Order: sequence, then C-alpha cells, then structure tokens
Amino acid sequence: MKFAQIRDRVEIDREPPGPFEVSGLIGTWVNSNPNTTGIARMVMTESGGKFSLQTYAIGPNGLIDWATTAVTLFSAAASSRVAAGFTCLYDFGFAETRLQGMIMKGLLVLAQFHTFKDNSGRVGYFVREYYSLDHGRLYE
Amino acid sequence: MSETLSFKQNSDLHTALSDPVTRTLNSAQLVGRWLNTDRGTTGVREILIEQDGEEFMVSAVAAGADGPIEWPRTKAEALANLEEEAGQRAVALAVTFDFDFMRAETYLRVNKGVLVIVLFNVFLDQSGRSNYINREFYYRQN
Repeated sequence: MKFAQIRDRVEIDREPPGPFEVSGLIGTWVNSNPNTTGIARMVMTESGGKFSLQTYAIGPNGLIDWATTAVTLFSAAASSRVAAGFTCLYDFGFAETRLQGMIMKGLLVLAQFHTFKDNSGRVGYFVREYYSLDHGRLYE
Repeated sequence: MSETLSFKQNSDLHTALSDPVTRTLNSAQLVGRWLNTDRGTTGVREILIEQDGEEFMVSAVAAGADGPIEWPRTKAEALANLEEEAGQRAVALAVTFDFDFMRAETYLRVNKGVLVIVLFNVFLDQSGRSNYINREFYYRQN
C-alpha cells in the first residue's frame, strides 16, 4: 500500500469493504441562515447503494431546483465505513459548482466552489454555509 | 447596454464577482509558511503558500513513518471569499494534490488568523481504504 501521510496507513480486511453507514447523512438538510442567497436546502437519498443529492437554491423569484447529482461519500478515517461527508459536482453549462460537505456533531458544513465558464468575466467564488437535518423550515 | 447574467442562485449576481481585484483581495493573509497547531499530527505538518501576481502555488509536507513526505507543489485556484474576515473580504484557495494512488482535494482559508484546511482524500487504488476527510489548523511561522 502507498501512503501520502501516516493516517493513510491502516489495516484493511481482505474481504471487500462493506456498505457505508449513512443514517447521519440521509434526509433533508436545511440552511441555518434564513437569509441565505445561495443553497437553501438539499435532499440526500440512497437507491441501490448509490447516493444522490438534490439541491434547491435561492433565486430572484423563489427556489431554483438544481436537479439531482451523484455524490461520493467520505468517512472520518481510511478504516471507517461511517459516512462523515461527501463531494459532488454540478455542471450548469455556464458555470460549475463543486460541493464538499462535512458533518460535525450533526451539523453539515458545506463548502461551495462556484466557477463561471461563460464570458461574463465573473470571478469564481467560495462560500461556506451550515445546514441541519430537517428542522421543518422549508424555504418557499 | 446592460448584460443579462446567467445564474443558479442569487449570490451569482453579487457585484463583487465582476471586479477582478476580488480574486486576489487581501491575499497577504494566506501567503507564507504555516505550521500545524498539532505537533503530533499524522497528516499535513506544514503548508507553504506562494503568490506571483494572480497565481498561487501550494506546497505541503506530511508526516511519514520514516520521515516527512513532500507533496507536489501545485497550482491553486483562487476564489473570491464572499464571507468577511474581520470586516474584510479575502481570497480562498482550492487545490488538488495528485498522487498516482490517491488525490487530496482541499480548500484553504484564514479564519481569525488561523489557516484552516479541510482535506478530502480519495483513494484511486483498489486497497479497500475508505475515502476520508480530515480538518486541520495551522499558525503562520514568523
């Protein structure tokens, strides 16, 4: 096994890794900031062992549905199978958004990387926001 | 004549994004050598951030079993950080370190004088290891 840092060095069973434990990740995540100008809520689902995220963001006339994209799951250690976060990519044609989510004590910390591919001259930007799992506040 | 901008959320229309200086605003906060606050870390021990105009390069040294492991010097993508640090906007960096057997995606930002990195480690070999996240903190070396 190759390593780039000590924490990459773990003992792995010869058996194929089991499924991720995802109970802390599946569901609807709602932005803690009711005045956000970005992602209002996200719905994480699982089907047939594959995980997807549907994202809704705030637009001038209400919510904008970004549709669903596949996610890659991450744990907190190379030897763990408990989901601790995810990454995914949205390609809108005129822009791309990469999301990196990390769960800390039940709070989802979401880093967002927005880059533009059109000729608008806009610089790419980074945003970090916080989400909790389904507290009942839905942005309409 | 005004230009109609495509958007997927309101923040895409932020006026600061149309100002190129936003990409390198207050970049001095990031530039320099940073040391892990955890002397016993089993991850990245130190980070060097360099700037040449609008380009940023990031180097790292990680803890290895037989001594430090140097990570490849890599070009970072500068992104406007719309959040404010002490009343000022600053730049954040996104960088991906590529190894043949794994890749480490990270973003770097300064929060109250502390460099915070969150590494998303993706294994590309068939070792059975889980992709994993780790977050670490660094102070600037004087």
